[in-house]
Amino acid sequence: MNKPDLTVDLAGLVLKNPVMPASGCFGYGREYAQYYALETLGAVVVKATTLEPWLGNATPRVTEVRGGMLNAIGLANPGLQKVVQEELVWLSTQNVPIIVNVAGRTEDEYCQVSEAIANCELAHAVELNVSCPNVKCGGISFGVDPHVLQDLVQMVKRVCALPLFVKLSPNVTSIGDMAQAAEQGGADGISLINTLIGMEINIHRRKPVLANGIGGLSGPGIKPVAVRMVYQAAKVVSIPIIGMGGIFTGADAIEFMMAGATAVMVGTANFTDPYACPTIIDQIKEFMVDNAITSLAEIRGCVL
Amino acid sequence: MRVNVAKITNLSADIWELVLNGPFPYDSIQAGQFVNIRIGENYDHILRRPISIAAVDRIKQRMTIVLRAVGAGTKWLSERRVGDSLDVLGPLGHGFPIQSTAGAVLIVGGGIGVPPLYLLAKELQPIVGQLDILLGFRDQQDCFWLDKFAPLGNVTIATEDGSVGKKGYVTEAIVAEPYYEKKWQYLYSCGPTSMLRAIKELFVETQVKGYVSLEERMACGVGACYGCVCSSENKQAAKRICKEGPVFDWREVTL
Repeated sequence: MNKPDLTVDLAGLVLKNPVMPASGCFGYGREYAQYYALETLGAVVVKATTLEPWLGNATPRVTEVRGGMLNAIGLANPGLQKVVQEELVWLSTQNVPIIVNVAGRTEDEYCQVSEAIANCELAHAVELNVSCPNVKCGGISFGVDPHVLQDLVQMVKRVCALPLFVKLSPNVTSIGDMAQAAEQGGADGISLINTLIGMEINIHRRKPVLANGIGGLSGPGIKPVAVRMVYQAAKVVSIPIIGMGGIFTGADAIEFMMAGATAVMVGTANFTDPYACPTIIDQIKEFMVDNAITSLAEIRGCVL
Repeated sequence: MRVNVAKITNLSADIWELVLNGPFPYDSIQAGQFVNIRIGENYDHILRRPISIAAVDRIKQRMTIVLRAVGAGTKWLSERRVGDSLDVLGPLGHGFPIQSTAGAVLIVGGGIGVPPLYLLAKELQPIVGQLDILLGFRDQQDCFWLDKFAPLGNVTIATEDGSVGKKGYVTEAIVAEPYYEKKWQYLYSCGPTSMLRAIKELFVETQVKGYVSLEERMACGVGACYGCVCSSENKQAAKRICKEGPVFDWREVTL
């Protein structure tokens, strides 16, 4: 049998395999580069980047819950200039495609950052964070209204020459509407799902565990929701989909692809095991060999 | 990396000592560094638990961690048996800078912040003029390792109820020392943030240099997620406790 072909094409961006770390769970790659060569990955997706430095939320910012974890980091990042000069310059030496996640408080901020990322010639694609539930004045308003979302995508697309992916929030009534809005705005692809908004209360202190009160739920517990949303989005758009939400194994990744995803992102699993991404890549390969699958296109969207 | 439980001992009500051996870069361990330990083999607990390294035996190639079994993760660790293997990452973070001096050095520990100070005290003892060690616990039930610290310096114990040593907090024991503001050249501390804050207030106006080890809920433990941060006094970007810390110059961080 031929060697399984793991390459995938995301709107012209060809990845050697469909696995990439999710934004916010991998820093800028440096920390995990000491565990394995980053070129093992399909791509590296860096932490959300904003125009100015953001300090983020107070601590505690993370807590484990049954089935996953909650986080309210607050998109802490050193700002566009430092990300480009100190992080992307380094990351671009690692022989792996770079996807920069972009966040902002206003449409203008999204546009400025996306344009600068495209012009710095170090990145291969931009992913718009329109859904982070942690930033009170930002993300949430863009990601939950189809018209607002479509306008934003349109504006960014005009100034950003790179492939543009839009990371959708699951905290909406109809994921299909949001997926279509992104596509109509000109997105080259969509990634989903971002975290579900959750909360945990310390009953002895009678206070929320997270300093921010509420936070994003991720981990194995959200996978069925994520698979369902990828499935629903895949039914209504024709642009490529990057699936994520509770992927811990190769089998999880295969499930997302069968629901319609072209590629996947791995988030929380990196915290449980720093080798999660390379392990998942190996497990996908193994599944393909065992099931005589030569190309991932053979299973993509097979349940649709 | 997978290490094995060579020994597990219950030190007090809910404090457990685990000696770990097996392949691990023991020779590179600095006092104040930690290991991030996976809880279980499945995905019931997805976050590792960061535990300070309390002692290292570089000849026998093993290390000791001490933990308080409070939540699901630390309880699981306390239920390990000799021969069980653990998935650990480490040594992680930056440890205590070891300063040699002819003068006096003060080590202050509180509760489950005490263990990493044992490794520190062992390293400081031969290279400092005088080593004063002040350890605070809730009560007699809560005390551990007093015998291990005894040969390393002048040890003072404080318990909140006075059941062992002096009654009260460690800060009360400090101010009871005559001329405490001028007594020590370096200060090293690990314990609850409230204790570190109180110590900082005591010494902020003095010339004492020193280091504190901070604790926070962590996710990745390697600096990638920005879950565990503290703010620095100069208001620049937050510092990651797992990466730039857990040990900081006590004047640099906001407590």
